[in-house]
Amino acid sequence: MEQHIQNLYEVLSQVEGFVYPNEIELNWSILIVLYPFITGLVAGAFILASLERIFKVRILKPTYGIALLTALSFMLVATMPLISHLGKPFRAYEIMITPHLSSAMAIFGFVYLWYLMVVLLLEIWFDYRRDMILWANESKGVKRFLYRALSLWTTDISPKAIALDNKIGYIVTVIGVPSAFLLHGYVGFIFGSIKANPWWSTVLMPIIFLFSAIVSGIALVMLIYIIVSKVRKVKLNMACLDMIAMYLFYILLIDFVLEGLDQIHRIYEAEESFEVLHKLVFGKLFFTLFIMQGLLGTIVPLITLGIFQFYKPKENIRKVIYLIVPVLILIGVFFMRWNVVIGGQLFSKSFYGYTSFKIGLIGPEGYLMAAFWLIVPLLILAFLLWLLPPWKKKDEQSEIQSA
Amino acid sequence: MPQQIKRLIVAFAFFILLFLVLRQVLKPSSFGDLGHYRADAIQENIDSELHYAGIDNCSKCHEDIHMDKAIGFHANLNCEVCHGPGMKHVLYAGNFTDRQLPDSLLLYKPVGRSDCAVCHQVNAARIKILFDTIDNSMIRQIDAMTHNPVNKRTNEKLNCIDCHNPHQP
Repeated sequence: MEQHIQNLYEVLSQVEGFVYPNEIELNWSILIVLYPFITGLVAGAFILASLERIFKVRILKPTYGIALLTALSFMLVATMPLISHLGKPFRAYEIMITPHLSSAMAIFGFVYLWYLMVVLLLEIWFDYRRDMILWANESKGVKRFLYRALSLWTTDISPKAIALDNKIGYIVTVIGVPSAFLLHGYVGFIFGSIKANPWWSTVLMPIIFLFSAIVSGIALVMLIYIIVSKVRKVKLNMACLDMIAMYLFYILLIDFVLEGLDQIHRIYEAEESFEVLHKLVFGKLFFTLFIMQGLLGTIVPLITLGIFQFYKPKENIRKVIYLIVPVLILIGVFFMRWNVVIGGQLFSKSFYGYTSFKIGLIGPEGYLMAAFWLIVPLLILAFLLWLLPPWKKKDEQSEIQSA
Repeated sequence: MPQQIKRLIVAFAFFILLFLVLRQVLKPSSFGDLGHYRADAIQENIDSELHYAGIDNCSKCHEDIHMDKAIGFHANLNCEVCHGPGMKHVLYAGNFTDRQLPDSLLLYKPVGRSDCAVCHQVNAARIKILFDTIDNSMIRQIDAMTHNPVNKRTNEKLNCIDCHNPHQP
């Protein structure tokens, strides 16, 4: 038997009931799961940063810089899972230089560019400009040049100039909040707007994506803040962590209720797709949906953080739990993306059958590739934290006063 | 205008200009000729290797089978649905009229029960059809496990094609 016929027979044995030929193999694999996951982390981290800046939640100050740099390092990598999924590394750049407005997918280029260039980079630049000038004066060699170049060779750090920086930075942040909502709402829209897929097609999708994004971003910043503090051997600011945990609790609660509403709506409507989705949820998605996303990623963190709102155990216990809970939440949100992306492709659009999904360790769409794109932003973050350490920023207020 | 704003405008202008220059250099040469895509892609697709030859090519040499098939239930089925892609076979088998075809040019012969079962195995998801319904557009379903598995007289295992002519079932 010829090889490709043999392959076809093998594939057909993984199919149940009736599926259309183009549904046998899942075209969107783990890298497409990563894309909304990483983009969500960006939006979430940025929103945590804006809480401090716009809503003046001063207690969150220790995480402000970390949140911004986290958002930037994950933003720089957000497109990479998509590009590596396309599998044409020598042509991949072409999508960047041929923008157009007629495809919902291509709009991501504009959303991305706006958010990266206009919002994130500008906010960080205005926030760090004065420090980069000061650090350039203190450093030598390449580092000095790097600070000079990054500050665009500006020299003006008069109180008037700094006040202008702060004012523009504030305006950019105000623009940034709806932009972050737009960025991740857009990612939800990509799935929610697909009429042919009843698992995706719901107007709630952008909102659900957005809230789970905020949850995941806050959890990531919380985790990174704890790890960075351990590495720097400084004391954790428990008041700050308690406040983050409170926000995390309330937003996770809203996220949980919204996702519940979506499912209740689906169950009550019980459209013709209901039966196939019902079997999907209790069959192929049972582990990832109920155990990973529901129990580990949502219920356990909700109960833990919920109890903390009424009763706060000792600091040492809280520290450990504040390390575990964000990890659980991140796993939960990752599997939420998994259930959307993979789940939406597991059932036939004839509603009469299912296909199955297998993923390898190696290969262009394997676990290692996915792990690579999750590690790269952490390395970028480590570099950014070394280059632009938020904890070394000099407090301009005190300096202006002392001057 | 404050210094930092001036520098920012210059930086943005520089990067936008850089983008426009890079776009001119990196854009594929045929991009935009016919629409928002690389026009060369069409020719590349035309040039790609063909695997399926189509029923008309099969009937040129296998006219007898073609005639058999044309009056049976499988009339609308392409040969390559069961025998697999045959472009290489069509192109080169003519050179071997006097000798055995090499393995690489042989097509798949579906003789087992599992081959027929790909379409005919009873399946709840397929349209149900009763045996007394004669309708050429529907696929008859049997259970390949229980549908006459052995010859009742000799007790030998039976394949579907022992009783049914696959070209005229």
